[in-house]
Amino acid sequence: MSLASLTKDWAATSYGFLDASAKRELRRKMLKAIAVPGCQMPYASREVPMARGWGTGGLQVTLTLVNSASVVKVIDQGADDGVNAASIRRFISRVSGASETWDTLDATIVQSRHRIPEEIMREDQVLVLQVPNPEPLRGVEPNISIARQMHADADYGKLWLTLYEQIVRKGRIMQGASYPAMVNGRHVMTPSPIPRWDVPKLNMAQHLTFLSAGREKRLHAVPPYTRVEPLVFSDRPYQVEDHADLTCRRSGVRGFFMNELPQDGGGSVFEVSDSNLGIKAIDKTEGSAIEIGETWYRNGEYSA
Amino acid sequence: MAYVATRGGEKAIEQAERLFRQDLGTIDAQRVETIRATMPYLIDRVMGEASLYDEELAALALAQTGGELSEAVLVLRAWRTTQPRLAIARPVKQDEVLTQRRISAAFKDIPGGQILGPTLDYSHRVLATDVLEGKPFAPPAVDKAASSAPAKQPSLADWQRQQGLVAPANPSAVSPEDIPDLTREPLLFPASRAHRLQSLARAETGGVLALGYAAMRGYGNAHPTVNELRLGEANVVVRHPRGTEFSAGRVRVSQAEVTSKEKGGYLELGFAATFGWNEVKVIAAATLDLNSDDAPVGSPVHEEFYLYHTESVEASGFCIHFKLPHYVTFQSILDAMRDAKVKRAAAEAAGEVYLGEPEEEPVL
Amino acid sequence: MSLDLGLPALERAAPRLMRTEPLLNMRDISKSYGNVRALRHVDAAVYPGEVMGIVGESGSGKSTLLRMMNLEDTPDSGDYTLRLPGRENENLFDLTRYERRMLCARNIGIVYQNPHLGLLMKHSSSGNVAERLLIAGERSFEVLRDKAREALDASEFPLDRMDARPIELSGGMQQRVQLAKAIALEPALLLLDEPTTGLDVSVQALVLDTLKRLQRDRRITMVLVSHDLGVIRTMADRVMVMRHGEVVEQGLADQVFQDPQHPYTQQLVHAKL
Repeated sequence: MSLASLTKDWAATSYGFLDASAKRELRRKMLKAIAVPGCQMPYASREVPMARGWGTGGLQVTLTLVNSASVVKVIDQGADDGVNAASIRRFISRVSGASETWDTLDATIVQSRHRIPEEIMREDQVLVLQVPNPEPLRGVEPNISIARQMHADADYGKLWLTLYEQIVRKGRIMQGASYPAMVNGRHVMTPSPIPRWDVPKLNMAQHLTFLSAGREKRLHAVPPYTRVEPLVFSDRPYQVEDHADLTCRRSGVRGFFMNELPQDGGGSVFEVSDSNLGIKAIDKTEGSAIEIGETWYRNGEYSA
Repeated sequence: MAYVATRGGEKAIEQAERLFRQDLGTIDAQRVETIRATMPYLIDRVMGEASLYDEELAALALAQTGGELSEAVLVLRAWRTTQPRLAIARPVKQDEVLTQRRISAAFKDIPGGQILGPTLDYSHRVLATDVLEGKPFAPPAVDKAASSAPAKQPSLADWQRQQGLVAPANPSAVSPEDIPDLTREPLLFPASRAHRLQSLARAETGGVLALGYAAMRGYGNAHPTVNELRLGEANVVVRHPRGTEFSAGRVRVSQAEVTSKEKGGYLELGFAATFGWNEVKVIAAATLDLNSDDAPVGSPVHEEFYLYHTESVEASGFCIHFKLPHYVTFQSILDAMRDAKVKRAAAEAAGEVYLGEPEEEPVL
Repeated sequence: MSLDLGLPALERAAPRLMRTEPLLNMRDISKSYGNVRALRHVDAAVYPGEVMGIVGESGSGKSTLLRMMNLEDTPDSGDYTLRLPGRENENLFDLTRYERRMLCARNIGIVYQNPHLGLLMKHSSSGNVAERLLIAGERSFEVLRDKAREALDASEFPLDRMDARPIELSGGMQQRVQLAKAIALEPALLLLDEPTTGLDVSVQALVLDTLKRLQRDRRITMVLVSHDLGVIRTMADRVMVMRHGEVVEQGLADQVFQDPQHPYTQQLVHAKL
């Protein structure tokens, strides 16, 4: 036995960038988050070589999950080569040796900002959502200590009241993205700033979802097969964005969440937000043997 | 696909970074050494905010970010957090600090004496334009004192404790390993005093100054008197596994103690300390500490407010993240707004009247 | 069944006292804040359908006692039971924070002297009422509207202003919104903490009229705290007199006012008359 056989060669950073103590802390918090669905767990949130607010929370969770056999997809606004998504994906593969993909079906870990892919995720996949503000009560209670007490008490009256007020003032609930949702009948969470279109995908999903806010040092989770119910009144149904009838001008796919592109002469055209779904549809039309998975929405209707 | 989904994305970001680095030119050890040697106060500020005491690394961070301070602090913090925690130094006591500057505004003279040390406080702030005219500025020599001041100075607060002016120190019996470490644990509220002082020590100087100034100016309830301000060098004393204690080197430190008024029969003290010499930061931070206990929740001098909002890496990161595309959230807002307009028009056509709405945005 | 308000309080109250169990029962409540003993061995019983008045000067412990009844605070010692179906023998002070909150939302209404304590000033008046229903689990927007409208109407609040924000309303109107919020879930117990103090005398009379009408029509059990003997005399069936955290005298309102036994009560009543 020699010192060399007992130790590893010197390396500038640990495998997966984060050192073992950071990963151990994060794993414990991730397990706690799974154990209490939707409940925010504080964690140390180490600095990573990326600015806060640019996906550092998602990145820390992904770096803790990743191994060399992982296949990682990273999207921003639905697109794989959004500048920040590309940068994060490159960093993850560089420090972990994991493979990169754009295809939702091939990924073992999907890290995303603001979208959930349109193809249904499976039990063997993990979704990691980047979260700017993990606190659904921030608007009614900016003080974190009080907000934590309100969660402990399931004290969501004021949050419901804001929704009531919006209907009274504007005729409908005005919440755009980040629509608050009740998880497992107990904790209200923010689903991160995904559009309302994506929230139903979390309900009784096959896959595990982590939602992690690096700057705010909080993470929460939606385990597989867990109820996620947007806060709505029984006689004012949940409304997703009115995109069911829109068609992508490039790929021709229809009935998915779209990006709107204003046109010079007035009016708009649309392009599918899940960019790789669009790419696959084009490839398929051009005769490639490419597989498009089952989608959560069919003909613009949520049907999973 | 939208503009980001063109394959140029990855190439564009690579070229943008190259452009930034090309503008800065070649960085070599000489440049790093020049920054280190000529900008000690800048180096100190960066080391304090990074909570990493290494002049050379701080100079390197400044060199490779072109002096973009929040970026420099971020690269240092990101490097620091990957380093193992090998040992916990013995706490630094005030009367052990090798003191170069130590003043009190509370008394005309204090035990150990007022020691001005190096300062610009009483200088005329005149730009030395002659330098640009080809006349280098060579500082006049300092006259040696008749007798040199002792290297170590007693603590004024200790004297005040003996006189019954300041409450007896009540150190908690915590083993070194159990001292809370903000770099390894989340900040929760109410914060432990260890977390509060650690957070202030690594806080962004400008942010601490802004909120400390708010506290001094009237948004807090204390008009601080500088009880003692100290710049010096402290030995980092660690324990060898065999048990011997030894100094692993010296670090420059700043400490400030401020006081305001009586509470429970004693003068209240606020305290702050940081790596490097940064007087304005420790005075402002000590004022925030002093104000904390009576600060109303939600006010800018309440600890949750000032600790969150002076965190350099978090604040700057969140601020610049707004440059990232947000068109999914924007699309979602647009959809709700268009639908509300349609509903409103329909309601008005049917003779119903919507209420005047309050000015606030819908809050969630 | 409505009672004739013309009957003297004694005749109204006496049969109930003899026949029924108290709705609210507090036994041996003591509470100190630091060195201040706010309540000392206080017993209180309130019977279904009656108005219990609590008088005393500021610092007498009357508001502390009311806060305990609303489970906003717990004492150092003592028991509190409410005769609610299924919870007759439960000491409410033993409930968890969450259980206390839910129990209060469903069964206890409160009107504070300071409307800022009871109302969200920048939300609509109807929303303030609706919040109470939302906490209790109501999830139909239309039902919320209807119930809020009904409660505001019962509190004699002008319905064309139901979505105005309290901050835009007069003090009397704000108290009516608080009242509507308090009665929206038809509580077993309505607590009133100086509800008309600070209002103009004419407005005060109108609000008291509304309270009386509610009491007559709905037979809501009320506990009314006031330093104003006139208000207590108008409203209360029975009276508790508090001083320095203790109950010095209690009895039927007419009895206490006409024939006070304790020197402090005598002083109070004579100062008033």
